[in-house]
Amino acid sequence: MAKVQVLNVSVLDNPSPFGNPFQFEITFECMEDLPEDLEWKIIYVGSAESEEYDQVLDSVLVGPVPAGRHMFVFQADAPNTGLIPESDAVGVTVVLITCTYRGQEFIRIGYYVNNEYTDPELRENPPVKPNYTQLQRNILASNPRVTRFHINWEATMEKMEDSENVDPAPNAMLPPTSMPGKAPPFGLMPDNSMDCL
Amino acid sequence: MKLLKPSWVNHNGKPIFSVDIHPDGTKFATGGQGEDSGKVVIWNMAPVLREEDEKNENIPKLLCQMDNHLACVNCVRWSNNGLYLASGGDDKLVMVWKRAAFIGPSTVFGSSSKLANVEQWRCVMILRNHTGDVMDVAWSPHDVWLASCSVDNTIAIWNARKFPEIVMTLKGHTGLVKGLTWDPVGKYIASQADDHSLKVWRTMDWQLETNITKPFSECGGTTHVLRLSWSPDGQYLVSAHAMNNSGPTAQIIERDGWKTNMDFVGHRKAVTVVKFNPKIFKKKQKNGSTPKPSCPYCCCAVGSKDRSLSVWLTSLKRPLVVIHDLFDKSIMDITWTLNGLGLLVCSMDGTVAFLDFSQDELGDPLNEEEKNAIHQNIYGKSLAITMGSQLSSTIIDNPEMLKYQQERQGNQNPNGAQASGPEHQTPKLTNVLNGESLEDIRKNLLKKQVETRTADGRRRITPLCIAQLDTGDFSPALFNSVPILPGSSASTQLTPQISSDSSTANSLVYMYVTSYFPALSQPMEPMKALDSRFTERSKATPGVTSVPLTIGITPLDRVKDSSSVKEPKVKDETSSDSEDKIMAKPLSMAKRKGEMEGAEVVEKRKKGRPRKDSFIRTHVMSVRIKDKTKEPSRLITPVAVLKLPTPSIQKSFSTQVSTDAIAYLEVENEVSVVSGARLSQLKWSRDGREWDTLLTSRITIATGSSDIVAVACEDRTLSVFTTCGRRLIPSIMLPAPLAALHCSGHFVMVLMASATLSVWDVQKQTALVKNESLNPILSGTDATVSQSFLTRQGVAVVSLSNGKTYCFNSSLETWNLIADKQDSLVQCADFRNCVSSQDALGSMGPLALTQGRNLSAGRLASRLSSTPHHLQQGMTLAFLEKQLASALILLSASEYRHWLLIYARFLVNEGYELRLRELCQDLLGPVHKSSSSSWEPTVLGLRKRDLLTEVLPVIGQNLRFQRLFTEYQDQLELLRLK
Repeated sequence: MAKVQVLNVSVLDNPSPFGNPFQFEITFECMEDLPEDLEWKIIYVGSAESEEYDQVLDSVLVGPVPAGRHMFVFQADAPNTGLIPESDAVGVTVVLITCTYRGQEFIRIGYYVNNEYTDPELRENPPVKPNYTQLQRNILASNPRVTRFHINWEATMEKMEDSENVDPAPNAMLPPTSMPGKAPPFGLMPDNSMDCL
Repeated sequence: MKLLKPSWVNHNGKPIFSVDIHPDGTKFATGGQGEDSGKVVIWNMAPVLREEDEKNENIPKLLCQMDNHLACVNCVRWSNNGLYLASGGDDKLVMVWKRAAFIGPSTVFGSSSKLANVEQWRCVMILRNHTGDVMDVAWSPHDVWLASCSVDNTIAIWNARKFPEIVMTLKGHTGLVKGLTWDPVGKYIASQADDHSLKVWRTMDWQLETNITKPFSECGGTTHVLRLSWSPDGQYLVSAHAMNNSGPTAQIIERDGWKTNMDFVGHRKAVTVVKFNPKIFKKKQKNGSTPKPSCPYCCCAVGSKDRSLSVWLTSLKRPLVVIHDLFDKSIMDITWTLNGLGLLVCSMDGTVAFLDFSQDELGDPLNEEEKNAIHQNIYGKSLAITMGSQLSSTIIDNPEMLKYQQERQGNQNPNGAQASGPEHQTPKLTNVLNGESLEDIRKNLLKKQVETRTADGRRRITPLCIAQLDTGDFSPALFNSVPILPGSSASTQLTPQISSDSSTANSLVYMYVTSYFPALSQPMEPMKALDSRFTERSKATPGVTSVPLTIGITPLDRVKDSSSVKEPKVKDETSSDSEDKIMAKPLSMAKRKGEMEGAEVVEKRKKGRPRKDSFIRTHVMSVRIKDKTKEPSRLITPVAVLKLPTPSIQKSFSTQVSTDAIAYLEVENEVSVVSGARLSQLKWSRDGREWDTLLTSRITIATGSSDIVAVACEDRTLSVFTTCGRRLIPSIMLPAPLAALHCSGHFVMVLMASATLSVWDVQKQTALVKNESLNPILSGTDATVSQSFLTRQGVAVVSLSNGKTYCFNSSLETWNLIADKQDSLVQCADFRNCVSSQDALGSMGPLALTQGRNLSAGRLASRLSSTPHHLQQGMTLAFLEKQLASALILLSASEYRHWLLIYARFLVNEGYELRLRELCQDLLGPVHKSSSSSWEPTVLGLRKRDLLTEVLPVIGQNLRFQRLFTEYQDQLELLRLK
């Protein structure tokens, strides 16, 4: 079983202007001392259509991790607007928090993010070129999607026998109906089973 | 009978494979398939029992759910004391759960169900051993052991007081093992497998008691589980799926002779689960009717793949009740309430059903006293004996055994704090927040958290340790609370405190990890690999350094220890060097003397007629040997510091003779010259008493014991006097100049320059060792004699400079190696846990003298965990047997006894039954006298049967050897009465 359990993720500074850094306060519990650091990443999905617009906003090592309950705040800069397709700037997208141990991803937490103009006028008539300064980012913090993967926690490089991933919660939230087909796939790895969306 | 299907007990439609009611009846656990994992859920019993509680929204139904199992959970079982829950699943793991002292509810992060956990159950132990799905788990009576069985065909017996220690792995099934049940008396455990067999194993030695195959030969491996059950009176074992005339049955197996004459018939498909009611019943007394004694009976529920449930009373020929179509799919598990009136059944269809019986239907349950009385009747001893002492589930047949067991228990308690129950393996609640409210910390977490850059420029955050493992005082409100925006208020200088705290926590936790997870010592490797990173970081965050530091402690200690052990060795060498230097003069002197003597002999040879005088001939031969080997020059040896020899004729010298009261020997050479002859004086004094005597040649060595004084002179004569100064024998003419001279008791040992050894008993005037050559031990080595001494029993011991020590056994006429500093067995033998504190005194003696230092070195080496256990076990055994034999050949009784007890303890601890039996047999000897027996009743003057009396309590400490213990205890008692 996993040595690290994520107990909670609080989304701080939400909603906030698009340019503000992301802030997640992560609480996790570790069953045994970890000889190596955990690596956390925040990935911003730029476009639902393609993974090539994914941006790793930041990656950070967390350690040392003795057995016990720990928390930290993971802050990462806002995405580089230049890398986001203009058509995808406004609307629903996804931000992912992943954690890897010894290079193996064992948990992936996804949040839907809704970017919209606060100004009703801009909302009615959005400019062709997105005005990022006017965009507000709203993370649907109440509905995290958590996928856990079975990884090899020991140092021995024995082959993982159960490499199949566990299913995510089947009745987790559905993409907002207003944006059919716009929800980007969570699963970035082919064997990731979060394709039930 | 009332029947209820509480629809709220479900795993969201997923199958429920197992159900178990907590011993206190307030909750029950279910195990089965979760959404993305295996699932264990703990439910409140009250809403099942009472309708009003079910309707009351303030009464929680779900108490806790655990998704930690990675795959389907096949079995959940509460320990008998109710403190633990064990679960086994398809992920090959057995997890042991314990309730955390926690007050509020919390949810599983990201879980779809927003139901809060009312109780917090945490995994305190993961038992990894099985290589396949775990199908069933079972706690032994009194929770001494936890058994788990698996599709890997094995059954693991875990020490429930020292998880994750495995007591035994039962191998023998050739198919998937799908069910386990303990005998309520604790003598057996039974298992049923897909290999068409039911096996009963003894808990005493974990060997197979019986293998029952006949009723199962027609069975196909079609059931998911085969949960068999043992009746509460211990008399009957009822199997799951068996066949009789092509019909599915539950086979009844009688304890008496394991007969299989009866079965429960009626189910249309295979029986998956049988569960006895924990109570024994007797007929309900009707009001008014005369109470007539009725036979107590048991009650048993049988569940089947045919989706029906039947409940049987052993007093009835037909089932009490049969319920069809209770479920849509196979019944998977059954559990009774402890009062025996309630029954929960779960099914593959994901539902459970509750049956509520009345006493009118089942009968009057016997209370515990009555139940014990039944056990007493059947098994002679009441189960209450073991219940009271909580020793073990094994019935202790022998009151003596019980005594030793209790003694052992008593001994363990004072220092047993770390070794009873898994709770010790979980760090206790420690709040590391120093009283700061979590909210305050959260407000500043971003600002205060320690962030550094690694060597490659990456950000690294040191997480804030808010609680050590499994703390209960950590506010759960956090999880559902509204996030606090950072920077709203400031509470300063918090982080350094925390980081230092958490670093001490690190070290504590690390120690805990190393001591309980020996396997984790391997991660030291990656730690090393990370060293550079650690050092990088330690510059920035002082708190972090503690981790590599603590890890360093073990190797550091080791180095320190080994150096401290080496030190005396080095000293030893240098001191012997200096001795050699001191000895250099006498050495060359002796050499010269040897040459001189050789010349003398040649002279003699010329003069005398060898063919006439055989004495001279032998003499010549010895000279030849000497010439050939050139040994003597090397042989001249340093003697014990107190008895400095003076082959170089000193004008005068004195020697201290260590006896009870210290005596002094003073030698003055050439005190006077009388008619051309030079006289030497020997003076002996003790406690003011003294005597002196005169010798005609100059004295080279003088030594003494409590009984005699021996003096060697320049003219190769040896004189022996009593402690009163009376000459015991006329001067002994030595064949060669003397190298070393020792006295002990009435024994005199001489080591001659010709590398020969002689030992005499001057009281009996006999030779124990006659001109025995040292060639066998010296040839082929560059070693020289570094030390020699004589034991009180007259055994000559010679230590060589290569670290080997030999003694000469006069009856075998052989040199025997008794100690070797380079012996790898010594280095690796680990018997420390077999040495008791009282033993320390017994270890003094000649054997300890020759190898004392090696032993401590061995003890150190044993800490190197690199040797696999079985290898170390073998080495320790070999070493201990060598010690025993060496003590025997040295005629050192106290050391023999000392090592015998250690040896016995080791055999008992490691379970060498055959050797133990052989040992006992030798100590006991034949019970009936027979002339043909060559058995000696004593060894080294110790009565063997007395030794056996000492060994037996040691054996009594391991219940496995109960039979052995009883056997020899009885025979010893018999002999005593004779």
